[in-house]
Amino acid sequence: MARPKKVFYRRRKVCKFCADKIDYVDFKDVKLLQQFIPERSKILPRRISGTCARHQRLLQQAIKRARHLALIPFTTD
Amino acid sequence: MRTYELMFVVDPRVSDEEVVTMTHDYRQMIVAGGSEVTKEENWGRRKLAYPIEKLTEGKYVVFFVASEGGKTSLPAVEHRMRQNDKILRYLTVRTDLDLKRAGSRVAPLEAPVQPGAAPVATPAAPAAPSSPVAPTAPAAPAAAETPQPERAERGAAREE
Repeated sequence: MARPKKVFYRRRKVCKFCADKIDYVDFKDVKLLQQFIPERSKILPRRISGTCARHQRLLQQAIKRARHLALIPFTTD
Repeated sequence: MRTYELMFVVDPRVSDEEVVTMTHDYRQMIVAGGSEVTKEENWGRRKLAYPIEKLTEGKYVVFFVASEGGKTSLPAVEHRMRQNDKILRYLTVRTDLDLKRAGSRVAPLEAPVQPGAAPVATPAAPAAPSSPVAPTAPAAPAAAETPQPERAERGAAREE
């Protein structure tokens, strides 16, 4: 009742994988994975990408696999 | 049934014909071990994301393997790949469990939220912090919770 009402509105982020109904993140899908590796080739945190915990976990695994096969860089220098 | 994906990267200096014979050999090893190669993809020459052994390109091949029962010759195949200098990288991934899990996925949150009974609302509340992305989801159980303690307080006040 006495809660202060928050006035600011943030754009709601939606997990891309939930929205697109992708349930298995394939390490071979370089195009998809590249959307989650910004300039320094780090894995984009879900705080920024809005990916849900479950899909972030799958994504992380896929990115690491793709890195091993040199499909995706570890770093850019 | 188990399914696997076996991907490997071959030195680009190896000729295409030789890559074909190599994949043929590995294929035969897999089949001899009692598994089945359901699909084979040859990606051809591809730029590596980082240099491996001072090479900037590699030839990619993918096997999709299905095996009935427990035993496969995949460990032996991996062993051979490890000893082959022409193979820069290889990776075997078991895919059946993940694909099955993906296929049998049901929306977990929506079902318990809809019945508005109090005992159902409480298990939904600890689940809410795990999805900070959706502002509507945490807001709903919070709103549902607040009236209840207020009622309890009023009840206590009347008793006094």
